[in-house]
Order: sequence, then C-alpha cells, then structure tokens
Amino acid sequence: MVDFARVQKELQECNRDIEVSGISVNPKSDNLTQLIGTIPGPLGTPYEGGTFTIDIVLPDGYPFEPPRMQFATKVWHPNISSQSGAICLDILKDQWSPALTLKTALLSIQALLSAPEPDDPQDAVVAQQYLRDYQTFVGTARYWTETFAKTSSLGAEEKVQKLVEMGFPESLVRSTLEVVGGDENMALEKLCSG
Amino acid sequence: MASDSIPNASIPMVVSNPKDFAKKRRANRSAKLKQCKLDARREQWLSHVRNKGDKEESSGCGGNQSSVVQVGKEKGRSMENWEINPSGQENDGLMNHYSDSESPSNSPTSHASSVLGGNDSGTNFTGSSGSSSSSSSSSSGGCCSGCITEEDEEGDDGCLDDWEAVADALAATDDKQEQHNPNFDSDLPSKHGNEIVAQMDSPLPESTNQSVSGTFVSMPGPECLGIVQRAPANCRAWRPDDAFRPQSLPTLSKQHSFPMNSDRHYGGGGNPWGCKSVISAPSSCPICYEDLDITDSSFVPCSCGFRLCLFCHKRILEQDGRCPGCRKQYECDPVEGEASLDGGSLTFKLARSCSMIARYVILMQREIKLVLL
Repeated sequence: MVDFARVQKELQECNRDIEVSGISVNPKSDNLTQLIGTIPGPLGTPYEGGTFTIDIVLPDGYPFEPPRMQFATKVWHPNISSQSGAICLDILKDQWSPALTLKTALLSIQALLSAPEPDDPQDAVVAQQYLRDYQTFVGTARYWTETFAKTSSLGAEEKVQKLVEMGFPESLVRSTLEVVGGDENMALEKLCSG
Repeated sequence: MASDSIPNASIPMVVSNPKDFAKKRRANRSAKLKQCKLDARREQWLSHVRNKGDKEESSGCGGNQSSVVQVGKEKGRSMENWEINPSGQENDGLMNHYSDSESPSNSPTSHASSVLGGNDSGTNFTGSSGSSSSSSSSSSGGCCSGCITEEDEEGDDGCLDDWEAVADALAATDDKQEQHNPNFDSDLPSKHGNEIVAQMDSPLPESTNQSVSGTFVSMPGPECLGIVQRAPANCRAWRPDDAFRPQSLPTLSKQHSFPMNSDRHYGGGGNPWGCKSVISAPSSCPICYEDLDITDSSFVPCSCGFRLCLFCHKRILEQDGRCPGCRKQYECDPVEGEASLDGGSLTFKLARSCSMIARYVILMQREIKLVLL
C-alpha cells in the first residue's frame, strides 16, 4: 500500500517552492499512484528552455521501493531512451533510498540532463553520437528540445483562448495551465474535475 | 418472529461496541489535546509573567506555593501522558523525564548506564532511577522548604482551572526565586549544571563533577535549581526559540548532531540523551513523515546518525535492511541473524541479483541489436 499521507505531504512541499526549483509534481488522476512531474531543462545545456514532463507511477511499496519514472517528453540524451523515455538512473533502481523523495528524484533527473553518462547508456545510439560526434549530439538534442519540450510556450495564448471559450475564467485557466506545465488536455481535465 | 428479533437484537450490540471504543479514544485524545492547550497557555503566562516580573511585589509566598506545586504536579502528569510512562508514583519531579530516557526499551541509554558504571568507578549516577529521584527530591526539598512533601501527599487530583490565580502565584514565586538567585541570567548553565550533578550524586568528588558537567550544558540549569516545582516543565521546554532561554546556552543541535559526540553522551550517562534528542532530533520521521515519539527520537539505528521511526526501521529490515541515510547495511543483527539461521533470505538475495544480471544481459543484447541495425 502506498503511503498516501507521505505522498500528499511531498506534493505540498514540492509545490511550495516551485518558483525556486521549477520542479512540480501533480496527480494525474484522483488516486495518487499516478503523477506527473515537470522539470525545466538545465541552463547551459541543449535542454535549456524546455519543460520536460515525466510520468511517475508509485509502486505499492513506495517509499520503500523507488517510484517508476519515465519521460513523457521526447528527449535526446544518452541515458534516456529516445523511443520510450525510460531513464537509466541508479537512484531509480538499486540505489533508491526511502529518504529520497519525488522532488529529489526529479532533481537527480535534472542533474542527469546536465551531466550525461555515455558509458552507462540507456540509448546506445545517442551514446555513440555523444562520444563520437559531440557537436551533432548537441544539435540534435537542441532540436528535440525545441520541437518537443517547448510546445507549451509556443501556443500558450492560443490554449488560453481555447479554454476560455469553453467557459472557464481566464485567470483560472492561466494558473491551471501553469500548474500542469502547459499541457492543454491535462489543464482541461483539471478544470473539469474542479 | 423469533428469527427476526434475534438479528435485530444482536446487530446493535455489535455496532455499539466499536462505537463506544471510538468514543473512548476520542475522549482520550481530546483530553490530551486539552492538556496540550493548557500547557501552551501556561507557557504563555510564564513568559508574560517573567517579562513584568520585576515590577510585581512578592506577597503571600507561603499560601501560594501549594498552587504552584499543583502546577508542577499537573505538569508531571501531563508529561506522563505524553511520554506514556507507566511508572511515576514517587519520581514525578526532575527525574520523571530522566527515567523515561532510561526505560529498558532504549538500548542506547541502557548501554550508556553500563558504560558509565565503568567510568565513574561504581557511583550509581544513572543506576537506579528510584534512588536518584529520591536524592533529587530531597535536595530540592532543601531548596523549597517543605513543598515536596506537600506535593507527595496531595495525590493526583489537583486540577487547574483558574489560570489567572496560578499565574499570580507564579509571579510571586518567581520574584522570590529571583531573590534567591541574583545571578540568574549571567553564567548559569555550566555552573548550575555542576550543581545539579552535585545534587543528584552528592558523594561524587568535585573534580569528577567538572569532568561530567560538560554534558550537562543541555540541562536547563537555572530553572531546575531555582523553581523546583517547575522543573519537569523546563527539562523539556528549552526550545531554541524559547523566550526566557538564557543567551549563554549553546545551540545544541549543532553541537550534538554528529555521531562522534556519542561517546560523550555515554560518558555523561543517559540524562542528557533525553534532553538532546528532544532538541536536536527531527520532529518527524523522514520516511513516513509521522511525528516521532520519545522512543523514536532516542532511536539511532545507524552510526551515520540517520533517525527514523521504529515502524519504518522494521519495514526496512524486512526488505533490504540498508540505512536510508547512508545506504549501508544496518549493523544491528536482525538481518544477518536471519540469513545465518535459515539461509532463505540469502538465497533470495542471490536470486534477485541473478535476475538483475539476466535483465542487464537482455538489455545489453537489445542495445547491441540496435547498434547493429
């Protein structure tokens, strides 16, 4: 059984300093076993400016077992599968500790974005490119960031317009969009659920 | 008809029982809450009174003291509530708190007392709580003539409703005590630390007192000495943000939070342990985020100093048995013992690592295929 009391407190704590960390965690559905985390791409990397969403599934044993995390946004990174978004990170596997939290795990993923480990790859193609042709790797990663991780900022106004037309107040629409990281469908879901 | 009436009769019985139980529990909890509120209000009054203490004249000390004793008594009782101390007939003064920290469930402190016995050449410093408590009460009796005997006779039914009267009484006694201790706020901690040690263990020579007293910095010296009735409150009330905490007291959370200090605690006996854990330990378990009770907060299962509640510790021992703080295997035996006893967990671990290797091989094969494609 997932320790929901702890998850609740984690969510509260994480979303309290969202302005500082830029990391947010929100429930995907009513039960707290499926969550969505968002991390900003670290500055000075090809991922800068992107907002990456991560699907989080809490196993029954959480926090004694690691949360299952996987990129929902496509990322070009040696340790993240470009196909599935699977993350190769030790603290999400054997090095998990119950003292870690969803926020610290997301922070670790953010750190992984800025410090790839091509010697222990998840995506061998990306790792090969990283090792052999770093410039091409940077170019591809930046292109992927622009293409897949920045959609939220591009059509933000259009989304707001669309949701306002559906009958929701504009301020609420904006705050909700911000909370869900710009995902229009999630914002709609959240607005509908109240 | 009969078959109808029987279930009708039996069902309410079944339902009513858990209800009653829940009611009882609720009542219990509300009583605790009330107690807590009373304590908080009393603290407010104390600080308030302390602030304007100099202006007020002391009047009728003798008459008021009995009510002050009631405060002490009340406090002692509330502490028993909080800390679930089954004992506490005689020793509800200063030593009430200490006997908690010496309870047999706390392995570190009981260990400490045995270590201490070696160090202090046979003096029963933390030995039996009964004897030390009697010595403390006798010494405090010297401080406040006859109050303690009154307290003992009074029994448990001293209930406090009129807080203003009590506060007046406290103000009066405060003034009186401050006359007793003119150097109240100056360099008290270490000095009074010494005196307390002397009180609790008078046969100890002065030099030994000096060596031991280092660990007593955490003790609320002036209050314990000056106003004996309030001692149980103050043993726990010196929070860092406390209004009348002397400036000269060191911040303990920094001083004591490292494991290398632990031998100092062992040297000093179990008493500072209790104070220290209250002050510097995290208030809630970092795993389940529930509040740590007094047993949990004196529980340090790993040498890295990472604290957690007993429930989470047990849960971890059932699984991989590694400390969440440093990821090292817990040294305490349960896990090792199991492995050596039946070998079942050992084979389980092996199987797990094998499966992980297998998974890794599959992964690698996939990656190789990808590369080849």
